[in-house]
Amino acid sequence: MVVANAVCDAASLSLGEGLEVLLSRKLDTLAPGQILDVHSDDPSIEHDLRAWARFTAHEWKGMHAENGRFVCSIQRGTAQRIITTVSRDREELDTRTLVLEAAARIPRTAHPETGFSPRGAIVEKGSPEFPFDVLNADQAWNPEASELYERAVSSQWNAAMDIPWNALPVIDRESERSVCQVMTFLAENEFAALYVPAKWIPRIHPHFVETIMFLSTQICDEARHIEVFVKRALSNGSGLQFSSASTQRSLKTLLDREDFLEASFLLSVLGEGTFLDLLRFIEAHAPDPVTAEIARRTRIDEARHVQFALAHMKHAIESDSSFRHKLAAAARDRASSLAQARTVNPLVEESLIVLAAGGLEPQHLPNGVRAVRGLYDTMHENRIKRLQLIGFSKADSEALSQSHTPNFM
Amino acid sequence: MSKPITVAAVAYDAKVVTIWEMINDYFRSRGIANDYVLFSNYEAQVEALLAGTIDIAWNTNLAYVRVHRRTNGHCKVLAMRDTDVEFATVLIAGTTTGINKIADLKGKRVAFGSRDSGQAAILPAYFLAASGIDVQKDIRLTRFDLDVGKHGDTGTSEAAVLEAVTKGETDAGAVGDQYWGRTLATGGVDRNKVKAIWTSPPYCHCNFTVLENRYAKDLEEWTEALLQMDYNNPAHRAIMDMEGLKRWARPQLAGYKPLFEAVEVVGYFNASG
Repeated sequence: MVVANAVCDAASLSLGEGLEVLLSRKLDTLAPGQILDVHSDDPSIEHDLRAWARFTAHEWKGMHAENGRFVCSIQRGTAQRIITTVSRDREELDTRTLVLEAAARIPRTAHPETGFSPRGAIVEKGSPEFPFDVLNADQAWNPEASELYERAVSSQWNAAMDIPWNALPVIDRESERSVCQVMTFLAENEFAALYVPAKWIPRIHPHFVETIMFLSTQICDEARHIEVFVKRALSNGSGLQFSSASTQRSLKTLLDREDFLEASFLLSVLGEGTFLDLLRFIEAHAPDPVTAEIARRTRIDEARHVQFALAHMKHAIESDSSFRHKLAAAARDRASSLAQARTVNPLVEESLIVLAAGGLEPQHLPNGVRAVRGLYDTMHENRIKRLQLIGFSKADSEALSQSHTPNFM
Repeated sequence: MSKPITVAAVAYDAKVVTIWEMINDYFRSRGIANDYVLFSNYEAQVEALLAGTIDIAWNTNLAYVRVHRRTNGHCKVLAMRDTDVEFATVLIAGTTTGINKIADLKGKRVAFGSRDSGQAAILPAYFLAASGIDVQKDIRLTRFDLDVGKHGDTGTSEAAVLEAVTKGETDAGAVGDQYWGRTLATGGVDRNKVKAIWTSPPYCHCNFTVLENRYAKDLEEWTEALLQMDYNNPAHRAIMDMEGLKRWARPQLAGYKPLFEAVEVVGYFNASG
């Protein structure tokens, strides 16, 4: 009789009832050639296990009786159930820190063949290659992403319940039309802000999961923003207004960009950054509390997106200073392709003036014009601050901000 | 590359095409030109091998025995699957029939699979005879002659045997151990109604058969290349999983002795030519 390396008690469990699970788990812990003894009370175990051992490529070593029970011996075969290069023995599995470290280790470069496996999992050889092409940590990851994800998750709000829709008053026609034009404009911009991260998620390697998770919240935020902007346009009589070709052209350049870092820089640092000032302006000049609350809540979300992008660009430029030139070149390239569009959609600009003026009264319109000019100055100043924050010189920041699209986003 | 080596197989399932395309690719990666032809039944495949229109036949044990008889032993086995080496027949019985051993089968209703299935008909009859049970006189035999010509490859007749025993339409039956083990492990057996009562001595099943006068260096190289297929290599695993093996094995001819004797005992070729 051979001496067993491991023993398991199968009671009267049979194949198909879970015995195969018990045996597979026990055999996994053995090295090829080692013996597992299975103690059983099932009188037909001999026939069943012999057949099972053969098609699972383990060797049947026979059965004997012992203290009124059946003892079957199975020799572990050489076939690995999962083909990996990593061997994770039992001790390692029991060591929590090692397992956690594997999950916490951010790769400098991720390998496409690890596919959708969560970071730290052991991946079987022969898995298919995935078309991820953002594979380097300096472009795909940043140290603030997981914290910002947590904040995003705990800051979700509901477009139907959290906006005081019942507080919407009847307002003058010009102001209402202006609100609706601005809402139309905001919604189209938010589509871009939804589609751009959505385009990049399938291209970023899943091992940069913090980025993927954050971008998922961004998409969720933008969906809610689209909902709330469209609802506001539809809720008080005027409805959706005009969407200009120049705005569409400007937004399309964001979607067309074929580099994640560049797309994220243009969309979130320059575009969404500029939107923070726009939303603050709308909140300040809103003719009704609903519009004000919408602008306030969406701005808080947008601020998170901007913070993510700032952290992302800062991390990238600190890892490789050549990214600074690359990002500047992308901004210039976009500016030159949008050279024919020198101003924002005039209907949007007019609407902002009307909102700031509180209507079309001639005596108030100059205030509106001044306020919008002041907004442009504020946008420019804040863009410069953000650009400097991520590592651009003052001069470069000024030039880049100056060339930013008049479309804001 | 020269003229390909032509292997014949029986198309018992649509996946056979996929398997052989993958095997072609495997041999190509080793610099060997391999091609395949498919037959609908083993008898036609054996005739093609004897006529020299194919180089290698992927045969069941019964087809191999036929080739052996027709060539007076002037044939050669190249390789077999690990799962072909210690094949066995399992006798199953209804749990309420009182059948616990072979001798209990006397006077009972017993089901066999297709008459050309080595594991579910020919060898069971032989093993019962060796235990003193004449299948003509001592039991009431039902045969499920399904997919005749495919030598039991499709498993349909074994499924019919299991179903008959489960429903109590017969008291006992014979199936291959592969069918039994897999069906058990996938939950396809009602353990309250059916149990295994006996496992036969091991015997060999399928193999790659060639004519002795065709055997040459090219087939030797083909065999060596086949044997290098490695289950722990992901590119090979897909083929091996589909073909139901984890290792190709060198021939173990002694394992065909039970079937050589069985076909004589049951007079298989007298009836089937």
